[in-house]
Amino acid sequence: MKTDKVTGARTQNEALNKRLFILKALCGVWIGKTLIFLTRMLGRGGTTLPGRIALLIAPDISTYLSGQLTEGSLIITGTNGKTTTASLIKDILNEAGFKCIHNQAGSNMSWGVASTLVEAASITAHLRGEVAVLEVDEGSFPGIARKINPRAVVATNIFRDQLDRFGEIDHIRDSIQRGLEALSPGGFQVINADDPSLVSLQNSSNSVRWYYGLELDLPPYVFQNTGRDVKTCPRCLTDLAYNNIYFAHLGHFYCPNCKYKRPEPDFKLIGCETNAEGLNKLQIKTPEKEIEVTYPLLGTYNLYNVLAAVACAHGLNIQEDIIEKALEKAVPPFGRMEPFKKDGKEVIMALIKNPVGANEVLRTILDQTGDLNILIAINDNIADGRDISWLWDVDFEQLVTVINNLSNVIVTGQRSWDMAVRLKYAGLDPDQIQVEEDSAKAVKAAIAKTKIDNKLFILPTYTALLKIRRSLNQMGLGKPYWNGEN
Amino acid sequence: MREIKVYHLYPGHLNLYGDRGNMLALCRRAEWHGINLKIIPVEPGNKINFSDCDLLFMGGGQDSDQKLVAEDLKGRSRDMKKAVEEGMVVFAVCGSYQLLGHYYTTGQGVKINGLEVIDLYTKAGQGRLIGNAVIECSLWDPPHTLVGFENHAGKTFLGPDLQPLGQVLSGFGNNGIDKTEGAVYKNVIGTYLHGALLPKNPRLTDCLLQNALTYKNQDDTLQELDDSLEQQAHSAAIKLAGLHRSK
Repeated sequence: MKTDKVTGARTQNEALNKRLFILKALCGVWIGKTLIFLTRMLGRGGTTLPGRIALLIAPDISTYLSGQLTEGSLIITGTNGKTTTASLIKDILNEAGFKCIHNQAGSNMSWGVASTLVEAASITAHLRGEVAVLEVDEGSFPGIARKINPRAVVATNIFRDQLDRFGEIDHIRDSIQRGLEALSPGGFQVINADDPSLVSLQNSSNSVRWYYGLELDLPPYVFQNTGRDVKTCPRCLTDLAYNNIYFAHLGHFYCPNCKYKRPEPDFKLIGCETNAEGLNKLQIKTPEKEIEVTYPLLGTYNLYNVLAAVACAHGLNIQEDIIEKALEKAVPPFGRMEPFKKDGKEVIMALIKNPVGANEVLRTILDQTGDLNILIAINDNIADGRDISWLWDVDFEQLVTVINNLSNVIVTGQRSWDMAVRLKYAGLDPDQIQVEEDSAKAVKAAIAKTKIDNKLFILPTYTALLKIRRSLNQMGLGKPYWNGEN
Repeated sequence: MREIKVYHLYPGHLNLYGDRGNMLALCRRAEWHGINLKIIPVEPGNKINFSDCDLLFMGGGQDSDQKLVAEDLKGRSRDMKKAVEEGMVVFAVCGSYQLLGHYYTTGQGVKINGLEVIDLYTKAGQGRLIGNAVIECSLWDPPHTLVGFENHAGKTFLGPDLQPLGQVLSGFGNNGIDKTEGAVYKNVIGTYLHGALLPKNPRLTDCLLQNALTYKNQDDTLQELDDSLEQQAHSAAIKLAGLHRSK
């Protein structure tokens, strides 16, 4: 009888704990929502502080809220392409009629995810949505995955990024490995087959793994100076060899020493054509058939993002015609080659945060015709990466090849002088580089100096992007990012 | 024309924290000073003719890359040591700096033997020492500041007669304890600072070039260049580190 008593007490205890858990979640939601309201009143995004406070009050708030999702959570992680891939997956799910919750402002650490979920919850802490599409920072991935046990994880790539936070590239891989272990039973993984580092991830949860990769005969783009981030075989440390290399270390790799090599992808991009309107027609081979999708995003790197989104949607059993329809309508997400118009001038904003991503952005910009106006905004806050060494690994030397078309080059941000030095050593004349530490003033000056019918490219780091977007909003360009016009 | 031969050690493997910026700074400034800089990239397995080398550049690397390099260099440390004693210029950053010493003990307690070129040893500490750093560097009289960024798990301790590169004004330095940063022995400079270090500290870049010229008995007077942009970046970094002094 004694055991009964103990069990009884335990049940009572558990019931109490559960009520406490719900009570905490409720408080977290209320206070979080209030803070979101207040920060928005102040013209801020409200994607950081409310989540931090909500997590302080209810550390398991993400577990409680995401547990209500009938279709579960999807996590998109990796160094580059998270935002675009997540945005495409969200577009497809919306097209399929699902109610999506999505951290589109790119606030992708634990508090960002908490903020997103809190915002989507009612005041009774009921989540208004069926599925969450969450882009998640590689470093925060294990922690978040353990809280929300995702139904699917998409891993895009691992490049050299904010090494001050993660230490070294090997650590990012380990972090993704730990996160994958928290996949919910019956969940699936979508992994880039062209990334030698990702392919070496163990599938310890024995979940379904889909590989995606390019199978194109593109002329490989050779970066002048930047080496590949992953050079050696993750198993035996021999230098990797490639039959085909698309960019950085992504491609058809194999180890000449051990048997390690690129796996056969389940989803292959086998054709890519750009038509007269600048739309890309992609031929994709899924495990069942060949499909053709049209999508309007610039840049080679977006090929991978589209392919990842198609693979993920396929894993969720979404019909091909819905995928095709959604992709055709897709627009660039927040700050990823995002266009604005002002007085007949076109302003295009493209986030830069690491060498590979920045090189791809530069390559896309240099493909444009006509005069170029460029504003580069470099901050070194935690979300940008405190270490700005990466600027030296970006091929800014590319700008010298179009020096005659460079009308204006302005640099701004907390690290504007470092950026100016970078451009000087890239070969630009110091007199050609204008430094304006204040980003609001820099944006105004850059737009004013851009001639009508010309383009201004703004290349900011993450926190500079948020700030510049606010300046643009105040000038009547675009809507605040948390309104999610995309 | 004056010429400097730079042996760039393992550009494919040791290039972690903007080391390309350091190389670029050496190249550009050599060009502006009218020096012909010849760069000889060295990959694992390649032979190095140390008597031909004026300046040896060694960048930072990941643990896995470093092990590879340590293995590769093992048999050549005697030649390297000889050249160092004769005045060869060596510039080693982060992982390579550790490699110059006696050994490195990893977090798992594994001891990796170093090249024994200078008297120091390194052991992995708990957590990484990360952040902006400013040091007062005694290569000049009066001393000048150097600004950079450090990110290392290893804690380095200098032997009693080894001079540090400078005293920490802000940041952690060699070990976070004794306020020293880097090491100087003859023409060898080792440091944890990157950022990249040389572009923002043109004085140090010129010092390396000058030492390399002197080592090969060439006219070593470098003219002053217009470094106003570099100086602005230098001062801005000092300000960002929370210090309000320049020079």
